Amino acid sequence: MSKKTTAAAVLGLALAATTAWAAGMHPGKESIEKSGYKGPETCEECHPGSAKGFLDTVHWKHASKVTNVEGINAKEEYGMKNRIYVMCNGNDIVNNLKEIPKSPVTGKSKFSGCNTCHPGNHLSDVGSTGAAAEAAVDCLVCHSTDYDFRQRKPFKNEKGEVVMGQDRSTKAALAIGKPTVKNCMVCHEAAGGGVIVKRGFSFTKDTDAHAAKGMVCVDCHKAKNHKMPTGHDPNNWANDGVFVSCSDTSCHGVKPHKDADLNRHCAKIACQTCHITRTGGAFAKDFTVWEQTPDKFYEPTTLKKEANETTPVYAWYNGTVKNTPHFIGPKGSKKDGKSKITPFKIFQGKAYYNKQTGELLSMDFAQPMSDGDTRAGVLSAAKTLGLKNPEKIAKEAVPGWQTIYFGSNHLVTKTKALYCANCHAPNGVLNFKDLGYSDKEILKLTSPELFMEKLAQKQKEDW
Amino acid sequence: MKKAVSVMVLVAVAALTIFCFGSVASAGEEIKMVGVITKIDIAGKDAKTATATLKDNKTEQLVVITVEDDLTLDKFKDHRIVEGDEIRCKYEVIDGKNVSKLFRKTAGC
Repeated sequence: MSKKTTAAAVLGLALAATTAWAAGMHPGKESIEKSGYKGPETCEECHPGSAKGFLDTVHWKHASKVTNVEGINAKEEYGMKNRIYVMCNGNDIVNNLKEIPKSPVTGKSKFSGCNTCHPGNHLSDVGSTGAAAEAAVDCLVCHSTDYDFRQRKPFKNEKGEVVMGQDRSTKAALAIGKPTVKNCMVCHEAAGGGVIVKRGFSFTKDTDAHAAKGMVCVDCHKAKNHKMPTGHDPNNWANDGVFVSCSDTSCHGVKPHKDADLNRHCAKIACQTCHITRTGGAFAKDFTVWEQTPDKFYEPTTLKKEANETTPVYAWYNGTVKNTPHFIGPKGSKKDGKSKITPFKIFQGKAYYNKQTGELLSMDFAQPMSDGDTRAGVLSAAKTLGLKNPEKIAKEAVPGWQTIYFGSNHLVTKTKALYCANCHAPNGVLNFKDLGYSDKEILKLTSPELFMEKLAQKQKEDW
Repeated sequence: MKKAVSVMVLVAVAALTIFCFGSVASAGEEIKMVGVITKIDIAGKDAKTATATLKDNKTEQLVVITVEDDLTLDKFKDHRIVEGDEIRCKYEVIDGKNVSKLFRKTAGC
């Protein structure tokens, strides 16, 4: 083929793609209709290398190197794959997708595991690599708006292996495009044991200013080569090395307000503090006592509220994280020059601790889900992780609590944002004493003297 | 006369008791329930309403819920919510229909 012919073909393809995009359609529809959908290899016709590249993302590995958390090995990777903390208490390793033991009451079993959200087929699982893993990527669960979720269920194949099904129909493939809110929420809204349990937010026009403007998750979490920018949530460790910030120049910039006094706040106050005034979801869980559900299986005892039904707590945060068996949360101070006052969703969970070492233990949910025997879950996890004397560890395990500060980065509001008197008043939203201010500073910070003249003038203008 | 007054007082007390503690839902009152879906009726992809029949975990009664919110309808359409799922539901009785105000699967990962 001559250079001219090649250039013409490339130009033609580009033109066709541009035309399709302009019409709101994903290009390549004719090809998919003609040849059917064959999994990632179909996508690779236009997006070569995508499947292999995807295997190196947090969405596939459920882990990454973590540089901002104390007490962990900087050379290791951490994430849902292997972390032990009390929102989940299990992880992909100890709580791998499997058929749980039959309920002694009903004789029924079911499939359960932390990695049910992993976008593979479970045979190629969290962190797997190679040709089989590339072929196992479920592109459509994130990119199709016509995915049939009856297909995405675990089942046993002829070898007795647990496989996660996928919808690879041509119908689903013809509805591909940029991920919608639904695509993301399929997994992210039900994390941690139920809808709105873990993160405590819903992304709807009623609950979030960005959603009300018609934005979708990936407008802020704009991925490049499937590397997904995230915020700096103290409890969301794994990351693709790219981060999202309100003050990105393409979004709100470093001077987002018309008012210079408000902009001055941005040096010490995170945007979320004034613009995310509510949170929700689970606020306490007990993994040592599981409740029987109507189907006679068991679930950890969980206390929860809807999105917007609880209020955040506030702390200085410099982006680094304190991490101990009883606490995961922000580090920072008024004086370090890097911290901002930031809102967090507070969560406390009860789980078992190693009597000898004081370390938090993890749990395989299979046995407790079947009959409520939580120590059996600790034993199974201890065996999986290769701990010495697992029987002794499980028998002697001591219940205890861990407190976690979750980032509070959604439920953004403009109209209901905090205003001057919410904080600058005695017993206001911010506890200045706890935040390290002196009595003299507090006296000044809680007086209307700060804003009286200005707001009086504004009130006059408004009315 | 005394007997008539006593009867009237008794009737008034009974009526008050029913008013205060009765479980019959009145219009505008939000009712909470957890139950398993036994049936979903939805008319195609463009449907703006659907009904789901839930078996109340506490009473074992079947309750027909009318669902009108787009998020839940979408979950019916793409089968993220299917028969057999356990649901946490809040509804109001409006014009004789149990209209859903919250319809969530209880399960998660």
